[in-house]
Amino acid sequence: MNARSIAAVLLLATGMASAAQTLETAYRTNGQSVQSAFDSVRAVLQDSSAVIQRGRKEIAYGTVMSADGYILTKASEIGDASDLSIIVGKKAYPEPQLISTDPTWDVALLKIPAEGLTPVRLLLDQAEPPRGTWVVANGATSRSLRRVQVGIIAANAREIPHAGGPVLGVSFEEKDKKLVVTEVAEKSGSATAGVTKDDVLLLLDGDEITGTEGLAELIGEYHVGDEVTLTIERAGEKKELKVELKGRSDVFGEEVTRNDMMSGAFSKRRSGFPKVIQHDIIANASSIGGPVLNLDGGCLGMNIARATRCETFAIPASELKSIAERLMSQAK
Amino acid sequence: MDFPSGLLFGALTGLLLLSPSRADAARPYINDKKVPENRHDLEVIQKHVTDSLPAARKATVCIDLGDGSGSGVVVSADGLILTAAHVTGGVGKEFTVIFEDGRKAKAESMGLISTTDAAMARITEPGTWPYVEIDREDSAHLGDWVYSLGHSGGFDKERGVNVRLGRLVQVKDSTVQSDCSLIGGDSGGPLFDLNGKLIGIHSRVGQRTQENMHVPVREFLKNWDAMQKSEFVGEGPFAKKPEKGKGFLGIGTLPRAEGGLSIDKVGRESPAEKAGLKSGDIVLKMDGVELKTKEQFQDLLKEKAPDDRVALELLRDGKTETLTLRLGER
Repeated sequence: MNARSIAAVLLLATGMASAAQTLETAYRTNGQSVQSAFDSVRAVLQDSSAVIQRGRKEIAYGTVMSADGYILTKASEIGDASDLSIIVGKKAYPEPQLISTDPTWDVALLKIPAEGLTPVRLLLDQAEPPRGTWVVANGATSRSLRRVQVGIIAANAREIPHAGGPVLGVSFEEKDKKLVVTEVAEKSGSATAGVTKDDVLLLLDGDEITGTEGLAELIGEYHVGDEVTLTIERAGEKKELKVELKGRSDVFGEEVTRNDMMSGAFSKRRSGFPKVIQHDIIANASSIGGPVLNLDGGCLGMNIARATRCETFAIPASELKSIAERLMSQAK
Repeated sequence: MDFPSGLLFGALTGLLLLSPSRADAARPYINDKKVPENRHDLEVIQKHVTDSLPAARKATVCIDLGDGSGSGVVVSADGLILTAAHVTGGVGKEFTVIFEDGRKAKAESMGLISTTDAAMARITEPGTWPYVEIDREDSAHLGDWVYSLGHSGGFDKERGVNVRLGRLVQVKDSTVQSDCSLIGGDSGGPLFDLNGKLIGIHSRVGQRTQENMHVPVREFLKNWDAMQKSEFVGEGPFAKKPEKGKGFLGIGTLPRAEGGLSIDKVGRESPAEKAGLKSGDIVLKMDGVELKTKEQFQDLLKEKAPDDRVALELLRDGKTETLTLRLGER
């Protein structure tokens, strides 16, 4: 053995010594060995969590709500539901029907032709699971095997207001305290209502619009989703238009923060939910829509957004129940 | 002097009962299993977290720096805080801390270890504050179950403190790594063992969400006295050493025959203006030293760094008063 190879062995030994201070991947919180302790919950995921694919690509998960094939998922991830297939249990169902959507919660109801499915068992008596409660959701998956991903309830249940607050979605210039529209944002409520360039903004729900600050003050009184009556002057004539106030981030896109840059694949829509519970499972944007279970396999809610690299939001079980009932009754 | 031993014992027992977490809590068996094997093991972890969490949450603060925020944790009833050096950024900085219930208090940074990202601070208002115990025995091992708290992204009363679960996945002398995920704003926040004892302070994150670095509490304990004395220890990436001569006051002065210096200019938004110095005030002394010439005053100031405090004795409207202010950065 020459000097060089001795040095190599020493280096190797040093490497091994420091490796002994490192926990093998399998034993880490979401490692395979730890996951086996959750096997009974995994069985529930296998039957009651749906995998939604477009082509071969997983785009979302779903939550089985009825034995005859109603499935809830995240609306903004599936779009118009074209070219989808859904796996429940080990069986694939091509071309699910998009029955209806709930824009407030960003939830879509899908239907597959199935019988005897096992719907999730919603836990309705526990409005807010305490922080530290184990939660289990669908993680990596193959056609025949769901894998658990585990975490805990991480924060208070709460409303997540729309990021940025309500906007009309128009740009304007101020001429003698009068606001003249110069541009209408494509995705705004103003565009839908037919506001056009050169319209003069006069009244908002009957209140006089006085300058830029005056308008901001008036709008500040409303919430995203409210409808206002906007009185405008166009070519010398007064007109009243019904305008929906949309969220600033929905109209103009979201401002990317330093935390966002650390967050990776967070959901396109992650604000504007009436109530969520929060946990620390690191979900991808494409692993949203499945059930969140406790150690008993009972359903605490449905994942609705990966908010940041370590915050995931879920719709609480009782809210999920009323959303499902509303959407399913619309279907019948 | 002799104390009746029973009384002393009684007083000690009282103290133990008052402490927020059980000082003698045993090491949970679950930490010595390679992995939790069944439902019961998982419930044991859950119970430890939910039981010790209320006290841990109460003592965890958001450190509001104005243009950003981090986290910290109170470790004594009179308001000693442990946090990260890259959160306080330096010695003697003033900021506000916010408890989870929304209660605010003024605080000031003390010493820091720039090499390992450890820092100390204290609440400067009188009061009795909720606090947690430190794991002084350094008893955490590789693989132990832990949880992290932090005011991610800034204070949010509706949300409260974020809590995340994980294990210690790497242990080195001056760093421990866990798979509790962290994000901006968590920096400086506490890492707890299952008994709710403080074992580390969040320092930095890796590219992957499972790579999260903490300063172990032994690093704090090792440098406790230096940090108490507000020393800046070590050369490292986590805080900038204050530079002498870069301290900024923001006044122009003229010599005065009777002694002292007469202020003829006060810079806009300067520390002097913020402290209320006005043109026409006479500065008689700085830190107790009588001022005779402009040059002598400038030499005294050159010994000061940004954030250093100076005491100025003023003659204003025929009366003397002393004003203490903090220098800005030139």
